[in-house]
Amino acid sequence: MSKKSILIVDDSLTVRQQVSVTLKSAGYQTVEACDGQQGVDALRGHAEIAMVLCDLRMPCMNGLEFLDTIRGDAAGPPVPVVMLTTDGSPDLIARAKRAGAKGWIVKPFQTELLLAAVRRIAGEPG
Amino acid sequence: MPGDSNEARLAETLAQCTAELLAELGVQFERLTGVRQPPPTGEIIAAFGGFGNDELWGSFTLLGPSKVFARLHPLPPTMPQRDLTDWACELVNQSVGRFHNRLLAYGVKLAPGVPQSALAEELRLASSLRPSRIPISFAIDGMVLEGWLELEIAPSFRLAESPLDEEAAALKEGSMVLF
Repeated sequence: MSKKSILIVDDSLTVRQQVSVTLKSAGYQTVEACDGQQGVDALRGHAEIAMVLCDLRMPCMNGLEFLDTIRGDAAGPPVPVVMLTTDGSPDLIARAKRAGAKGWIVKPFQTELLLAAVRRIAGEPG
Repeated sequence: MPGDSNEARLAETLAQCTAELLAELGVQFERLTGVRQPPPTGEIIAAFGGFGNDELWGSFTLLGPSKVFARLHPLPPTMPQRDLTDWACELVNQSVGRFHNRLLAYGVKLAPGVPQSALAEELRLASSLRPSRIPISFAIDGMVLEGWLELEIAPSFRLAESPLDEEAAALKEGSMVLF
């Protein structure tokens, strides 16, 4: 059985690398995108993606626009998305929840918390 | 801090945010005050991010030798120039992000921008277009990470003496909420 894939959408290469190293060490596969539009394209091209970790502020398409776009795209249940951002604003968290996000993590992330969220939402790596 | 000027309190808040970030990165550092350090030589990186609302706007710049950003980098860089300029942007992003989060409890909402960076053989900050530029610099392993906060504050702006609304406080860095 193939390992589950997690899509990491963040304009920071360093953050993508940090998250990817963390997830791969736990047995997941990763796909990376550097903005919301690339994230949408990645989801359309990778049906195996089990979950998305998405930054908020990015060029081209931000994280909230990404949420709105994939919700409009989904034929079935949309792929679960957890936001991973420096912003801890309660009003933005509420807005993301209304847009269908499954969680919110404030950077810098703690490895164990991130993995706990991924295991709970995407399941074990397979 | 209460009783100080808006500008001084905002600068101290940002300095504390940057110091917290450096501490979490596990480096030994010392806050530098007052005296301007000699300009760094060799390969220099500067990263800068803007923020603002109707009454308060400005930017935060971090500038230093590429070696200081390499010292702070959480992973072994694979392509040093690309990785370190990106990392410099993320350091600004996380410093300004904390600043934004701290100010929420005081009823101040900032809109941070996406940081940008520059890499050069010689790079130093010259005169500012804004009314105030406040140094927020740190010594790290014998190197200097220069920080500069530029601010423009409308006369109507007042930073509350203490947090106004605990419910408005941001979710803390490193924490998580699942729905």
